[in-house]
Amino acid sequence: MTKAGNTGNEYLFELALFLATSARNCIDEPPLYGPFRLLDALSRLADFPEHDESLDKDPFLKEVKAFVDEKKFLVTSDVEGFTQAADELVERFAKELKRRSARNRNKGKTGSLHAK
Amino acid sequence: MDVFETIKGRRSIRKFKSKAVERELTEKLLTAACWAPSGGNIQPWKFIVVEDRTTLDMVRKISPGYFGETPLAILVCADKMRAYKVGGAMGRDYLSIADCAMATENIVLAAYALGLGTCIIKSFSHAAMKEILEIPEGVEPELLVVVGYPDAPPAPPRRIPLKENTYLNKFGQSFQPAGA
Repeated sequence: MTKAGNTGNEYLFELALFLATSARNCIDEPPLYGPFRLLDALSRLADFPEHDESLDKDPFLKEVKAFVDEKKFLVTSDVEGFTQAADELVERFAKELKRRSARNRNKGKTGSLHAK
Repeated sequence: MDVFETIKGRRSIRKFKSKAVERELTEKLLTAACWAPSGGNIQPWKFIVVEDRTTLDMVRKISPGYFGETPLAILVCADKMRAYKVGGAMGRDYLSIADCAMATENIVLAAYALGLGTCIIKSFSHAAMKEILEIPEGVEPELLVVVGYPDAPPAPPRRIPLKENTYLNKFGQSFQPAGA
């Protein structure tokens, strides 16, 4: 997935293939593999800017990718720890959402002032 | 290497070095697999050794459970036609799977004893695997073993202690390990 030289389109295809095979397998696999695959997909998605120069590097996504990669295999050994990590991940996203929303709102205010 | 040391030391490896696995070692793994127990001596296993980079890359891409990049993968398949011919319905529906699992266990233990790392994967697309490796009708992919030189062996996971899963003489009657 992180193979150097993959273009954005190739990477997108690979990611889509991962989602398709995961979806099919999740029908038969242990239920916890569903959240595990989604987190792994998040990790792979966060790599997208490495393969497509038109996308900005996103420090937040890079940070959560590292967190996910560190914690995702807890699913096989420590379900409680895996659940806590998923909770923490959502909290991080919620805080980041608030931060980005506030930033966008301020941008909007600034924009409207300039419009006057 | 002592057999208990091998059994307890083996881990599922998900990070590998890029170093290639020597063909001689691959052959040792396959020989170990072929000496696995087999119900009715059916030996229903078929092995596909994948070394070609392009093919290996395709196999990795259709296997959500395949982590890291490895120089080698061995697909353990069950020959259901042979299993049925020799072992009837039980051979086809049960023994062939159990035999492939035991052969796979031999592969991963032998690999560990040879200094190699492995991970057994069932999370692959069955249909895509058949298409990519041109596996005929009647032969079913059971388990994929990815093989390479380990980079970061994980800590041992917790194991359920004997006193919680073992009974003496009848189900539910406590089995007390000597060291307990």
